[in-house]
Amino acid sequence: MRVVIAEDLVLLRDGLTRLLRDNDIEVAAAVSDGEALVREVVARRPDLAIVDIRLPPSFQDEGLRAALEARRRVPDLAVLVVSQYVEHTYAQELLADGRGGVGYLLKDRVMHVADFLEAVRRVAGGGTALDPDVVAQLFSRHREDGPLERLTPRELEVLSLMAEGRSNAGIADSLVLTVGAVEKHVQSILSKLDLPQSPTDHRRVLAVLAYLQRAH
Amino acid sequence: MEVITGTLVAPATYKRLAYLLTALVLGPVWFSALVAVWSVCVGLAITPFVIPALIVLAYMTRGFAALEAALARLLLDVDANAPVAVRSRPGFWGWLRGLFGPGFWRAQAYLLIRWFAGFPIAIAVITALAVSLATLAAPAWVPFVHGGVQLGIWRPHTFVQSLVGVPIGLLLLPVSVLIADALALPFGPPASSLLRPDSDAVTVAIPEGTARRRPPARPGQKLEVHAAVDAVLVAVPIVIWAVTAQGYFWPVWVALPLATALAIHAWFVLLAERPSVVAHFRGSRMLAASTGIGVALATFLTAIWAITARGYFWPVWPMLGIAIVLAIELLAVLLLSPRRAELTERIETLETTRAGAVDVQETELRRIERDLHDGAQARLVALGMSLGMAEQKLTDDPERAGELLAEARLDAEHALKELRDLARGIHPPVLADRGLEAALDSLASSTPLRVVVSVHVAPRPAPAVESAAYFVAAEALANAAKHARARQVDIRIARLGDTLELEVRDDGDGGANPDGAGLQGLRRRVEALDGSLTVISPRGGPTTIRAELPCA
Repeated sequence: MRVVIAEDLVLLRDGLTRLLRDNDIEVAAAVSDGEALVREVVARRPDLAIVDIRLPPSFQDEGLRAALEARRRVPDLAVLVVSQYVEHTYAQELLADGRGGVGYLLKDRVMHVADFLEAVRRVAGGGTALDPDVVAQLFSRHREDGPLERLTPRELEVLSLMAEGRSNAGIADSLVLTVGAVEKHVQSILSKLDLPQSPTDHRRVLAVLAYLQRAH
Repeated sequence: MEVITGTLVAPATYKRLAYLLTALVLGPVWFSALVAVWSVCVGLAITPFVIPALIVLAYMTRGFAALEAALARLLLDVDANAPVAVRSRPGFWGWLRGLFGPGFWRAQAYLLIRWFAGFPIAIAVITALAVSLATLAAPAWVPFVHGGVQLGIWRPHTFVQSLVGVPIGLLLLPVSVLIADALALPFGPPASSLLRPDSDAVTVAIPEGTARRRPPARPGQKLEVHAAVDAVLVAVPIVIWAVTAQGYFWPVWVALPLATALAIHAWFVLLAERPSVVAHFRGSRMLAASTGIGVALATFLTAIWAITARGYFWPVWPMLGIAIVLAIELLAVLLLSPRRAELTERIETLETTRAGAVDVQETELRRIERDLHDGAQARLVALGMSLGMAEQKLTDDPERAGELLAEARLDAEHALKELRDLARGIHPPVLADRGLEAALDSLASSTPLRVVVSVHVAPRPAPAVESAAYFVAAEALANAAKHARARQVDIRIARLGDTLELEVRDDGDGGANPDGAGLQGLRRRVEALDGSLTVISPRGGPTTIRAELPCA
């Protein structure tokens, strides 16, 4: 796998590069601003771009805009946006084009190296990785008398992992369940919330997020 | 002697002479035009047509003043500029009021001085010059006049006789020029002090130090020079009168305008040095100055009437005009006085709100320092300790080392979360990136309450206003969750013209203390932006917090 990194803080850029190389992921380029990111992505055609939201010169959402631009120029590019804070508004903007290969994580998640690498591989493979904090923000919009009330606590756990972009196998792994049990929970959730069966994990994520975004 | 010859050869002397002579044309033009337009204004005073007349008057005065200022700069070498309209308030009326600022009245005063003092002096000067030149050139024309010419006390007939005129003319001409120069000098100070934009306009446009090219002299000093020059100017014609035919006391025509100008000058000096005098005119320097000028002019005219034919008391008409001008000014001062009170009040408000803003900032900084100290810093110390212990155990107890490393990572995560919350409390990044709606949405997602957010603020207000609105909503939301036991909160923010209106209403049990630290801090924050905060929280609820923030 080949990766381009855009991060303006040298400490984090070098740390991330080392972490990825130690795990046999090739870092094709590590740049410090959005313009350079787009340039490197177009020139080197990596599988994935890992981008910090806040980049110079504006230090606002420069990185997000650069990532979207890079994806417009190189449509099969996967993008993993990392940030010191997460807002579901940005997640919505990233997912807006309906295609897979998108991730949005807190920088803290890097500390759980195995989980982080799993997310990197998932996104590069066309899947989705949403930070649990984003999912929690979306969940908090649903109040006690809403349809989520009809879900069992275990089903709620499964739903949030679905929203994060995990596959059934991944959910089973993380909840210490069998894949069969997870499949049963997923069926039950989809029918309770009136959601369609989706052919791919990514479609499923979009459907779940679209549902969560409608505040009840 | 050197002074005299120096004056005679200096080009500046002849420039000043030219300046005096311009009054021959400009004085009557200014006077008749101003009298005509003022009459129209007075005549139309109670009709709406007075407004275009006033605008014409203002622009005419400014145009005249611009020409006068250019002449004064060119010929008198003083720093004079046409007045500019100073806009203190927006809108048409503010603009109209700006046209009649102090600069307008000073320009009026100067234009009148050019007529009342400038014109007679110009007549006197041109007469003196003509007589000197005629005397000097006597041999060239006297012999051709049948029966000789009466030149003062002397009546030459022939060429030879008139040759006597040459030395006399040679003496008279420089004397005339010197007298003219002395008469022109007193025009400098009023030209520079009356023909200038209003002081606040100057200090805004030009940094201190470049605004005035000349160091300011003590006003009284200039007055003494003026009086001394006048004394000489009056003494000379009196001596001439005494040694010549005597009879009709014509030097009075030199003395009167000079005395009038001197009196006006003295009045200005008095006003500058004794602020207590201005207080008698309801604190208006403009009214005080105009009254002085008016009284001086009225006295001048009455004196003319007394010296000349007497009979019909014609000065009643110009005096009536002066009285009307003073009445209008008095009215303006009376109408403007509330504005003074408004300004005082505004200054008091600004002082209070500024102190409040400083307090808020101080409290915020202390809170941030405490949060850093108790939160992230302590976590990082714990993390360091875990790492140190893991290092020790690495070889002999790898299992324990692994546990310690996991602890260290947990500490790092907690520290990050605390820092993130702290940053959000200082200024949420999404507020700057995406505006109020996204920021409040995000805030709503992080509370256990049901929150309905409605935001209509396009175009985006200034960052300070957005930030104040956000923190009012955040604090209200926190209070609703913590103290009021509310279940639902409605946040409405709408931009109505130049005002951002924010309302946060909860369904809790009310009883919020508007003087509590949290709400007090919010109030200061809002007031620092010239806004207002209202808290309605009856015991039993519900609580409504309303903020209005100007966002022009």
